[in-house]
Amino acid sequence: MKFDDQNIRNIGISAHIDSGKTTLSERILFYTKRIHAIHDVKGKDGVGATMDSMDLEKERGITIASAATYCEWKGYEINIIDTPGHVDFTIEVERSLRVLDGAILVLCSVGGVQSQSITVDQQMKRYKVPCIAFINKCDRSGANPFRVIAQLRTKLGHNAVAMQIPIGLETELQGVVDLVTMKAMYFDGESGEDVRIEAIPQSLLEEASAKREELIDAASIFSDELTEAILEEKEISPELLYAAVRKGTLKREITPVYMGSAYKNKAVQPLLDGVTYLLPKPSEVENIALDMNNNEEPVILNSDPEKPIIALAFKLEDGQYGQLTYIRVYQGTVEKGSTIVNVRNGKKVKVGRVVRMHADQMEDVEALCSGYIGALFGIECSSGDTFVSPGINMTMTSMFVPKPVISLAIVPKDNKSQMAMSKALNRFSKEDPTFKTHVDPETNETIIEGMGELHLDIYVERMKREYNAEVSTGNPRVAYRETITQRADFNYTHRKQTGGSGQFGRIAGWIEPISDAEFVFENKIFGGSIPTQYIAACEKGFKQSMAKGPKLEFPITGVKVLINDGASHAVDSSDMAFQAAARGAFREAYLRAKPVVHEPIMKVVVESPVEFQGPVMGLLNQRRGMIIGAQDEGVMCVIESQVPLAEMFGFSTILRSATQGKAQFTMEFAVYRQVPQSIAEKIALEAAQNKKTAA
Amino acid sequence: MIKKEIIQRNPLLNLGYDDEYILPTGGFGAVLAYAGVGKTALLVQMALHAMMNEQPVLHVSLNDAVSKVDVWYRELFHDMAAKYDSVESNEFWEKILIYRFIMTFRVEGFSVPKLEERLTDLMQQNIFKPHTVIIDGLKFDESGRGLLLQLQELAKKYSMRIWFTVHTHRHEPPKENGLPLSFLHVADLFDVLVQLAAKGPEVYIKALKGQSPDAKQDALLLDPATMLIKDQT
Repeated sequence: MKFDDQNIRNIGISAHIDSGKTTLSERILFYTKRIHAIHDVKGKDGVGATMDSMDLEKERGITIASAATYCEWKGYEINIIDTPGHVDFTIEVERSLRVLDGAILVLCSVGGVQSQSITVDQQMKRYKVPCIAFINKCDRSGANPFRVIAQLRTKLGHNAVAMQIPIGLETELQGVVDLVTMKAMYFDGESGEDVRIEAIPQSLLEEASAKREELIDAASIFSDELTEAILEEKEISPELLYAAVRKGTLKREITPVYMGSAYKNKAVQPLLDGVTYLLPKPSEVENIALDMNNNEEPVILNSDPEKPIIALAFKLEDGQYGQLTYIRVYQGTVEKGSTIVNVRNGKKVKVGRVVRMHADQMEDVEALCSGYIGALFGIECSSGDTFVSPGINMTMTSMFVPKPVISLAIVPKDNKSQMAMSKALNRFSKEDPTFKTHVDPETNETIIEGMGELHLDIYVERMKREYNAEVSTGNPRVAYRETITQRADFNYTHRKQTGGSGQFGRIAGWIEPISDAEFVFENKIFGGSIPTQYIAACEKGFKQSMAKGPKLEFPITGVKVLINDGASHAVDSSDMAFQAAARGAFREAYLRAKPVVHEPIMKVVVESPVEFQGPVMGLLNQRRGMIIGAQDEGVMCVIESQVPLAEMFGFSTILRSATQGKAQFTMEFAVYRQVPQSIAEKIALEAAQNKKTAA
Repeated sequence: MIKKEIIQRNPLLNLGYDDEYILPTGGFGAVLAYAGVGKTALLVQMALHAMMNEQPVLHVSLNDAVSKVDVWYRELFHDMAAKYDSVESNEFWEKILIYRFIMTFRVEGFSVPKLEERLTDLMQQNIFKPHTVIIDGLKFDESGRGLLLQLQELAKKYSMRIWFTVHTHRHEPPKENGLPLSFLHVADLFDVLVQLAAKGPEVYIKALKGQSPDAKQDALLLDPATMLIKDQT
């Protein structure tokens, strides 16, 4: 175990789906000798790429759960998280970026900067992750790495500079020219493992010199020494140039661009050199925890392995030996046999096995010190939990978790499936904070909620495959609410005499709307017209009525109940009688209080290239959306709006097609607002129909 | 109920302006003050007044993000409506919100053709047609007269009134007409000029241009605690 973090790099590989990041990860593992054979992503050889460990991923050729692995390159230890490319799994990308210190942004040399590259780039910006770019697939027909560099500048606003130029393109791709050392690099051997370094071909000399000038020019802003060397016309050493580029990269003010073809085994090794030269070591990244004993004051962590432990569980997986918890250690050292505390629940946990992951294989280690990523066995926790040394009460800044945007009812086929389903749901909601589940008390159906249709689709699929749970799915639903708009008085007597002891209770008072609470009960009874022992029963009765509106049967919110009079009977009054009286009183007053239906309004933020601003605003407007504002961000614009959730189903597909897939949106709950009359009538009709069907 | 009580006459009428809208169609108005005195607060109150009268306001900010501009409106509205029932005031807020549209630009990215392009996007799709525009954060010492002339044309073309904030500097003593030197080259383009001046703990609202000659000055104050306009008369 080495304790110097100088040679540690925690990196992510992020990109648009199908830009070849899993293939790239596979090649990195091969060249760093973590694997000894290369497999195809689509699983043509029946094995599949090493990083795609789930069957489903192998079959669909996409990466769903990020697999963590580590490898060594020229004395550097590189921890890699392979991140998913599809937008519905962005929580995985977000989580990875949260624990990483740097990233490789993979771009396709044909497709260029695609919509997901824009999403991923924005996420990197949010977490201030320095990155280097790799333009992959230079062997493909239509490959043009310099067009992609131009797109990086114009579409993403990066100060992108080429570190290399290609030797040949498309089927002619032979290698790359390194603009720092001014040498040509070729990749020989069956899998490109032998790097041959030669002089730059005469035909490329001029282009290489020009591009090197551009690189030096861009880097000189970050180094006085380099500027001096340029002015004095001294020779610029690779060390000097790398140091300047590195400075700019760490500040996210320059994006060094590498290029090649992972599939054709070209130029992956120089990219690894780039990772070690240009991306930060863990202690160069400022990590902040919140001090729970000091009003959540932010504390800058020290990556000293001797300091108390602060580690974040960023991913859980259900393995054959129980729960596997991926952690990133920010401070201190997590050792086998040591005791750590889960800050969320204060539970002490003894660390059993400590492993480093290599896709779905693992390697036992004695300890993980600060800056490292690894996994623990047999620890019960949820993802996002912080582990600390006993006596410390700090939590890592909470990860940005978007609210679920879609819900679906799922019904198990039989009893066996029911059990398997609940086991699966329990596991998924622990693993993935954006996946939520609950049982609808009215229909008794299990509802799952997530980030998109594909997100839920994958989980339903996983339930079937991994847990043998056969389930059928229903239609997505919106959570409407009812509320009242004016004060209404009640004076209700509940009287029942049907043999045996009777029931009697009278309640008088009023209900009125309130804005800042769901339900408020106020007792203004003086003189004991309702005996004190029955007041709680009255409150309970009113509360019960709030669960379901008498007309449309949606939950009621924002009601204040005040009781100021009533009557009781020495024999016939009881808790039951007053509960029933309260329910009756509520029914009596409710319709006179002019009830209305409220619907959830979502804050929808669309990030789109400026040229699509008009069409995007049009789309939002068509959906009963109210546009709050539009923010100009250079090549992109951000449109903030409030749109009813009921109008948002299918929006991602429509947005994609209206903007050539270049816009993306986030959606979170904003407020409940009254449904317009015409819509309310439609909802009432649907509710009546549902009631009929249920009956 | 709240609507009737909260909507008053335009508060600036107290400074001696005749028109209810203060500005004529296609006209320019500006609020001049040092940094932090309350230019945005004053204009947001005028915007709220317009929104309450169902006149759409386009707020263009060259400094702040949409969310920050939104906070200005929320805070000032809630301060104004503090004495009313919260359910009613929340409902009223939701109702007037549709009369506001916020657009933000980076200072260096702002141009009249760009603004017009955005406006056309909104108007052609019947999303929003502003009655009043507020431009907050334009630098008058750097922006030439040309930009303002273009804006004036735009205001006339779409029958809008435009209010600006003008940031004056302490190191720049005002000329005899009360205007800073850096503003003089464009002052003639404005129909109305209002100045905010801090005197002791009070912030006085003073009309510099466009008011009737016998108007009483210093009749209005900005309450430094809430930044709301306070009538002294």
